[in-house]
Amino acid sequence: MADVVVGFCADVREGDLVTLESTALAAPMLKALYRRVLEAGAQPLVRISLEGMTESLLEYGNDEQLGWVNPAREDDIETVDVRIALLAPGNTRRLSNVDPARQARADRSNERLRNRYLERAAAGELRWVLTAYPTEASAQDASMSLAQYEDFVYGSAFLDDPDPVARWHEFGERLDRVAAFLATKRELRVVAEGTDLRVVTEDRTWIPSKGRENFPDGEVFTGPVETGVEGEIRFTYPGVFNAREVDDVRLRFEAGEVVEATAARGQEFLREMIAMDEGAKRVGEFAFGLNDGVQMFTRNTLFDEKIGGTIHLALGTAYPETGGLNRSALHWDLICDLRSGGEVFADGELVYRDGKFLNGVG
Amino acid sequence: MSDPRYDRLAELVLDHSLRLRPGEVLRIDAAVVASPLVLPLHREAIKRGAHAYAALDLDGLKELLVEHGSDEQLEFVSPIELREMDAIDASITIWSEENTRSFSRVDTERRQRQLAAQRQVAIRRRDRIARGEHRWCGTLSPTEGHAQDADMSLREYEDFVFRACHVLDDDPVGHWRRVGEVLQARAEELGSVRELRILGEDTDLTVVVDGRTWRAAHGRQNVPDGEVYTSPVESGVNGTIRFGLPAVFNGGEIDDPRLRFEDGRVVAAEAAGGEAYLQSLLRLDEGASGVGEIAFGLNYEIDRFTRNILFDEKLGGTLHLALGMGFQDLGGLNRSALHLDLICDLRREGEVYADGELVWRNGSFLQDPQPARPVERVR
Repeated sequence: MADVVVGFCADVREGDLVTLESTALAAPMLKALYRRVLEAGAQPLVRISLEGMTESLLEYGNDEQLGWVNPAREDDIETVDVRIALLAPGNTRRLSNVDPARQARADRSNERLRNRYLERAAAGELRWVLTAYPTEASAQDASMSLAQYEDFVYGSAFLDDPDPVARWHEFGERLDRVAAFLATKRELRVVAEGTDLRVVTEDRTWIPSKGRENFPDGEVFTGPVETGVEGEIRFTYPGVFNAREVDDVRLRFEAGEVVEATAARGQEFLREMIAMDEGAKRVGEFAFGLNDGVQMFTRNTLFDEKIGGTIHLALGTAYPETGGLNRSALHWDLICDLRSGGEVFADGELVYRDGKFLNGVG
Repeated sequence: MSDPRYDRLAELVLDHSLRLRPGEVLRIDAAVVASPLVLPLHREAIKRGAHAYAALDLDGLKELLVEHGSDEQLEFVSPIELREMDAIDASITIWSEENTRSFSRVDTERRQRQLAAQRQVAIRRRDRIARGEHRWCGTLSPTEGHAQDADMSLREYEDFVFRACHVLDDDPVGHWRRVGEVLQARAEELGSVRELRILGEDTDLTVVVDGRTWRAAHGRQNVPDGEVYTSPVESGVNGTIRFGLPAVFNGGEIDDPRLRFEDGRVVAAEAAGGEAYLQSLLRLDEGASGVGEIAFGLNYEIDRFTRNILFDEKLGGTLHLALGMGFQDLGGLNRSALHLDLICDLRREGEVYADGELVWRNGSFLQDPQPARPVERVR
């Protein structure tokens, strides 16, 4: 995995300054990545976090502390050439009992950092990869044993294939075709149970996500026109954000803004998040999940948003390279499964049904 | 779940060593294995209104760098880290390692180059400390590796560490304040001494300390602490000394070293084990065969050798001499990349004469120092 992440996804080159970010639980993978980065002639810098520190800050920090941005981490984002981040949670629910308002304040303080790094990435100055190292906590969230979860993770990244990089190139061509097709369309309409949503994507860029910035990968995404989202959508899977889970989310949009938000469980948290800032009630991303190696919902957005046969939209900040203008401290992906009965119309024409593009598009 | 002794050690470091104030930026430098102390330090620092964060290392990464890195990679100093040093008001180094011998079999020359690169960051910090812009403390979180070096179980080692730090006392901060008063008085007394003579087994050494300042170490920059030290006059060390206890330096060990000095320079050196290593250290540079420090270890809760200099040099009833780098601010002029502490056990048979008068016998000073001045004056 370290070979593919360093050599293919991040494409680490001689002289690069590379941060490796994770929790201490990912130690074996961090060591493997560290060694690969050295072998590539680049300079690895580790940024290891310990679960427990965020909890202390959120529990005991005053407003000033919650709003503090570490200048050294700002410097990282301004300076490094590559960021490799590994999700490796020890307990995905550890922030369950934190006051959402305090959480939102801490999130807002990191917004500038996040926007700056997305900006540098969009400008081609910074390459980044988000990937995962299997832990018991993530296996538990996926209702699997650790061994089963490891198979799931490595399988979804084609690492069980003799030549994973070749597989990713091949898959990438399929994603390119989907992106090229969608680029010719002005408006999409998604129809499914509880869902009839129109999304204007005219003049926005569709980006095929082929295993560079996310690993595993397999989606095609854009930033829709900020005022061009109308109608309602019901999300199949629970929305998971900051270790909180919100069930059966339903949103109604008018002129791009959420005007109604309900949930079977966690409705208050959903509304708090949407009220976080001006951009949190608008859509920053609309995407198709196309990785057929991911079939199951595992409560981890990195994988869930790639499930082949789903679409997702994200409330909050947009990726600048799509042309999306929305900015927010929030980026919350919500997933709608279209595998049984879902349909997508592009400029009035049926182009997708039951989780598949029609007419050999992808 | 969490052992309250770690919380108390954290409180001692923040309140006594660093006197951390609201709004200050605190960086905790540690390897992941020190998490049991990193977490309470961070939490208590947050409670005190500081902006605290940890720069965590993973045991094994530096080893990979030394083994596989190119010359350029070995000597790389992160510009981010250099700039970072300027923004920090206080820092804590937790010296805990998972494996204290992990560098034993790497190329020493490559290891030295990597250490030299790291030192650039340390020098940046040292300069800020000297200008009063930064406060720093070094301490330890018990690990299996350190327990193994001390021939103890982890549980026994934890007891040893926390006893030495006096965190089980009702008022640890009060304890270290009182230690400060006593040691400061001792340091002032020693400040008027011109020459020390040390007598012990195979030891008869005279050390001129005339005009040098003695410093009391009472838990500001090290926890645990408990020593008084100075840099002797560079040409004023004569005679022989046998150290008895092994010296551990960068993972290498020197057993029972014996040195003979003439006019402040080592003229003969032998050891029961690791003699070649000792000789190579002496040849490191010009200052490596001169003396940079003489000190009395006065923490009597530290009652045994544990192969860790943070504790060993404070071992109650010992004296140590360091070859190499001296303390500029105490009047020391010797300069070297080396600072090798060698510990001489004076507990069983040992006498120290100050300007001809017997002041120390069998592991302790014979008289308490003169009444102390207020601790607030101690720096």
